[in-house]
Amino acid sequence: MEFNVTAALFAALTVVIYLLTNSFYLKYRKTFLNPVLASTAIIALILVLGNIPYDAYMTGGSWIGTLLGPAVVALAIPLYKQRDLLFTNLLPIVSGIATGVAVGMASGILFTQLFRFSEELILTVLPKSLTTPVAMQVASNLGGIPSLAAVFVMVAGFTGYIIGPVLLKWLHIDSAIGRGIGLGTSAHGMGTAKAFEYGQQEASMSSVAMTLSAVLGALLGPVAAWLLLL
Amino acid sequence: MKIIYILLQLLAITGFYLLGEELQAFFNIPLPGSIIGFLLLFAALMLKIYPLEWIDSGAHFLLAFLSLYFVPATVGVVEYGELFSGKGILLIPIVMASTFLTMAASGWVSQYAAKASTERKERS
Repeated sequence: MEFNVTAALFAALTVVIYLLTNSFYLKYRKTFLNPVLASTAIIALILVLGNIPYDAYMTGGSWIGTLLGPAVVALAIPLYKQRDLLFTNLLPIVSGIATGVAVGMASGILFTQLFRFSEELILTVLPKSLTTPVAMQVASNLGGIPSLAAVFVMVAGFTGYIIGPVLLKWLHIDSAIGRGIGLGTSAHGMGTAKAFEYGQQEASMSSVAMTLSAVLGALLGPVAAWLLLL
Repeated sequence: MKIIYILLQLLAITGFYLLGEELQAFFNIPLPGSIIGFLLLFAALMLKIYPLEWIDSGAHFLLAFLSLYFVPATVGVVEYGELFSGKGILLIPIVMASTFLTMAASGWVSQYAAKASTERKERS
């Protein structure tokens, strides 16, 4: 039973630290206070200082992780609520997202191959533009490393959030659809948070892009991996 | 009462998820089971087989804490410290560059396609 007590403690610790960092973030609204980043850093520090192996932590941590699957399913609800927006702009939305996902995966493979990274790492970088729960699942299905994939997803998210507006301006992408689809396809939830700052239309477009690119990415991932292995 | 609704709706969402996982395993579909569950739920809502009110508050509750669920996995990065002290650090600018290209391509194509379709509508 002692085993289960530690597992429960690790799960509870994760929830408490997350809720604390989240309320801190909601209060100060600074990008670098991102609750995932802050919780990860604090828990990682506890593990390192306490000399606790990651596997021991995951006896409880994995309990929380099981919610990822149902959460992905639940993303169908926000998409369903945006269905009118989606179906009236179906062609521009889908063509933009499909191009973005393909360009993202192709450039990811190209750049990592250029520097001769292992196949495992290439497959880990591949789903970086997808929302974290889907990216982790795709990475693990293809033979990549899910926890590292989550790190690259965050790098992509921060890149889009911080440098995205500069890039959009520079490329004269100035319509609600262009901004929203660009941010959501490349930087998932973080991009959508930035899209909110432009306005409601951008935000809706971005959240549609985030969800659809996740579905498309999950479909395209195995194809890209297969092409890579040729 | 609200809590009971939310719990029942969470069970329904889990049901769609497990159905997706089962279908994935049975037909050996190269898509994550969660995405199959997502597509099933979206289709059920679109076809009015499953009413939105029976799942809305559960989904809202579940998604409110979405980023919590991947914290345990991201903590796993402690096992890869070595990678980022070497050549692996290059993966960061690689991901950034690829993110720029993704944003440029998707944003530009959708903006262009939207303009083209409004122009077509105006001409006709």
